[in-house]
Amino acid sequence: MKIPWFYFASPSTFYRLAGWMAPWFFVLAALFGAAGLYVGLVLAPTDAQQGEVYRIIFIHVPASWMSMFIYFVMACYGGVSLTFNTRLAAMMARALAPTGAMFTFVALWTGSFWGRPTWGTYWVWDARITSELVLLFLYFGFIALANAFEDPRRGDRAAALLALIGLVNLPIIYFSVVWWNTLHQGASVKLTGSTMQIQMLWGMLLMALSFWMYSIGASLTRVRAVILDRERRTHWVRALAT
Amino acid sequence: MRPHEFYIWMSYGMTALALAVEIVALRLRRARSLRRVEEERDLEAQD
Repeated sequence: MKIPWFYFASPSTFYRLAGWMAPWFFVLAALFGAAGLYVGLVLAPTDAQQGEVYRIIFIHVPASWMSMFIYFVMACYGGVSLTFNTRLAAMMARALAPTGAMFTFVALWTGSFWGRPTWGTYWVWDARITSELVLLFLYFGFIALANAFEDPRRGDRAAALLALIGLVNLPIIYFSVVWWNTLHQGASVKLTGSTMQIQMLWGMLLMALSFWMYSIGASLTRVRAVILDRERRTHWVRALAT
Repeated sequence: MRPHEFYIWMSYGMTALALAVEIVALRLRRARSLRRVEEERDLEAQD
């Protein structure tokens, strides 16, 4: 089956499609979130070394994953918009940035509140944590740059360029615990397997799915507002408002 | 209060707050966009 990409890349078509899809993603996010919280807070056993405080990882790790994944997707949309000059890709990049920044903030905040009882400090200038903070600043920079120009297309191009340059930070975040001697622990979950207890692992994966579905729902909702702003002088948008 | 309960509540609480703030911001953003469309339409009608 051939997917009509150009048809779906039209803002008017995508506006309706996003409006139809977004609520379903929010429903999925709520279901996975409820299941993840039940597994993580009720079923998963107390950690032998950290006690109850380890339960922070059920939001800290998924939020960290989403902060990097959203940035990667945002930079890909930026690259597509620069290469093919597609309007919708630039709009999607704009729509993803605030959600990515929110998850980066959550990752830093929860990491800080996990670090205090575990390491004895809220903050340390460790390679992993510092590069995650740089990611937050990259999101802020992207949002600021995208909105700094009167002509939104110029803002799109400048922000896309920043997003692409900032991509270099993602491997630094991911491999920082391997490349440098850091206080932050290494990855417990890899593509090749996990060293975690099965209920702990499921709790984390369910929360990651919840955050993922939420991110899609939020970015689809936001892109509809961006489309309305950009296309407000077109006939199809005026027809919507009547 | 169990040990470390404060840290767990602060983490989950801030996450819930961040999600709530973003959802409210999304609704406000949509309302603002719709208002701008209305304004544009009204300007067009006056011309």
